[in-house]
Formats: sequence, structure tokens, C-alpha cells
Amino acid sequence: MQPFALNYARPAVECECSTPYVYDAGLQLNVLADGRIAASDLALLRELGTTTSTAGSKTHFDD
Amino acid sequence: MTVLILTGEEDVTADMVVVHLNASGVPVIRLDPADLTASAALSGEFVHGAFRGHLSSGGRLVSMSGLRSVWVRRPGTPAARAPQPSAWLTEESAQSLYGLLRGCGARWMNDPDAAGRARHKPWQLRHAQHSGLPVPATLITTFPRAARAFAERFPDLVVKPVSGAHPQEPPRAVPTSRVAPGTDFDAVAYGPTLLQRRIAKRADVRLTVVGDTLLAARKATPADADPDHVDVRFAPSGTPWEPVEVPPRLAEAVRSYVTGAELAYGAFDFAEDADGTWWFLECNQSGQFGFVEVETGQPISLTIAQWLGRPGPREPDHADGRRVPVP
Repeated sequence: MQPFALNYARPAVECECSTPYVYDAGLQLNVLADGRIAASDLALLRELGTTTSTAGSKTHFDD
Repeated sequence: MTVLILTGEEDVTADMVVVHLNASGVPVIRLDPADLTASAALSGEFVHGAFRGHLSSGGRLVSMSGLRSVWVRRPGTPAARAPQPSAWLTEESAQSLYGLLRGCGARWMNDPDAAGRARHKPWQLRHAQHSGLPVPATLITTFPRAARAFAERFPDLVVKPVSGAHPQEPPRAVPTSRVAPGTDFDAVAYGPTLLQRRIAKRADVRLTVVGDTLLAARKATPADADPDHVDVRFAPSGTPWEPVEVPPRLAEAVRSYVTGAELAYGAFDFAEDADGTWWFLECNQSGQFGFVEVETGQPISLTIAQWLGRPGPREPDHADGRRVPVP
């Protein structure tokens, strides 16, 4: 009784990694431990994949 | 005037735009609807024929008449983090927030009504056809017999979710997947199924539209790629995204699409075949762009910031924020 498309489902990959930045409500930006703005560190963003098109989101559609 | 960004704190992609807005001196207020009744608040009054509204978030207070634009980026479920959340409170909060904002006259990226319509993949496919974009043969059906007949006409098929939503409990992803020859289609009766002719692609193309600006990136498919790896999000990443020019006729069709869809932003996915044709797969009205910018250096976040930061509108003539066109 499973819909056809679910025959192709796979477990969602849950990222258990922690991000090395925290949100600063004053700046309205995420900042690194050394105070730098996380979004300005493109190498870090590439490494973390936090800006990547993902699948398996609980809260949002595919992007 | 201020730019309102509806998104969560963890949205580092939104940060890429905030950095540019800060650099240009445009005020920003960032609000996650999930924080309503906790660390975010709203108010609006309709008195003596006038409307006045206010929002606060993170210690900032802004008048709704002072908003130049609203960016609906990755908003949380309204009031999800309220002290006593409930479905009722979520609905009350959603109607209050979005209802008040609709009357403030700010420009939207994207307008909620347009965004809601644009999420529907069947609508996307038809709208793409109307716009002059090449659309692979597609079937959405709950008739197993129709699926079998379609598979006879188009033996090389993929299946993908209609909605883009993902099943939970347990959390699963449903990538676009190749359908093997001889597959049993009986289960099509248990859920709408989207079958599409597989494009033997030589590249994936992500075309990001911001207002009138088109920024396209291309990711070549390696010659030795496994043809079963259809979904670029799940395929091994062997080649980089690189900037690519948009063919003029396709650009015209894409502009027709976004104009007709009333979108200020859209992320188009195409599959490029051996002839160089870009086949329309979908347009995500809130698609990610950070990964493209990080790899290609294309100024997507700057372009979004410039769109959001343009001078604000005047008082709207209609309750829904629309303005009477000047003849």
C-alpha cells in the first residue's frame, strides 16, 4: 500500500556536525568565535555546506 | 526605510545578503515568525480610516509603514517557539503577521500568493510550456494503467515527488530516481506519481533570477557518470559549478515565466542535453543560492540586496498592498 514514489525513498542524512558560529542578535548575523562574520568566510561555507541545496528538510520544500 | 527579512537565526545564506545591506547603509530587521509571542511581537491598528502597524524582533522596533521590502527567506512556522504553541496559535499568528504585512505596501520577494501558486510543480510545468521553455514529457497520475502506457511511449523514465516535501517518521528523502525497465506500476494507485522522460544530460544548469537579472551556473556531467545518478543533489560531486551565459531565446522565456508568475526571485533547474537544449525541470521560488555563489563567485547575494534595498514604495491604494497603475 506504499505510494510508488516512496519505493525510491532513502533515509535522510541528518547532519550531526555543529556549526562553528553563533547568531549575534545585535549584528543580526552569525559570527565565528574570533568575532568574524561567518558569511564572509566563503571557504568555511563551502566546507560546511550550509548554503547548499538540500533534500530531506523537515520544514521546507526542496531547494 | 527598512528591509524585513523573515528567516531563522541559523540562516547563514541570509547573512550573505545582510552583509551587503549593512555595507550600503540600508536598515534591516530580521524576524523569525516562529518567535512570535516569545521574542518577536506585532501590532496593527485600523483607526479613522488609517492603518498603523509595528513589528519588534531582537530588541528592534520598526513601523510597517517604514518597510521598503519583505524578503520571505526561510521563515519558521509562526509561534512555533511560543511558550504554549498550538495549531490554533500558529494560524492566529500567521494570519496576523502576513495579513498585516500585506497591507503595508512594501515590495515582496516573493509575494506570498505568487509563492504559494509557484510551489505547485504541475502549475510550473504548464506555466513553463506557456512561457516557451522546453519541458520533458511528464505524467502525474494515480492510474497504474496510465503509468504503464506512458512507460511504453517513453521507456527511459525518472520518478520524483510532486510536492518536494519529504516523508517523516522516519525522516526520508526522495531523490529523482531512474525507473528500471519492467517496473511494476501497481503502487501508482496509492499516491499521485510524477513520471518524466529522462534527459540524457551533459550538464545541470541552475539559473537564478533576481528581478531582471539572470545568473546561470553550469555543472558538467562527467563522461563516465553513472546514468542512474539522476539527481545532482545526491550524485557524487566531481565537477564544479561554473558561470555560463544564458541563451537569448531561453532568457526571454525565463523572463516571461517570472513575469507571469509574479516572482521577484526564482531558482530554475535545467538539464542540458547533448544538443545543448536546456530542459526545464522546476523553478523553486525560494531556492538556495549560496552554494552557487560560493563556487562561482557570481554576485547573487549582492543582487538580492540591491533589489531589496531599492527605495520603498508609497502608501498603497489597495488593502492587499497593490497600487493603482499610473496611466
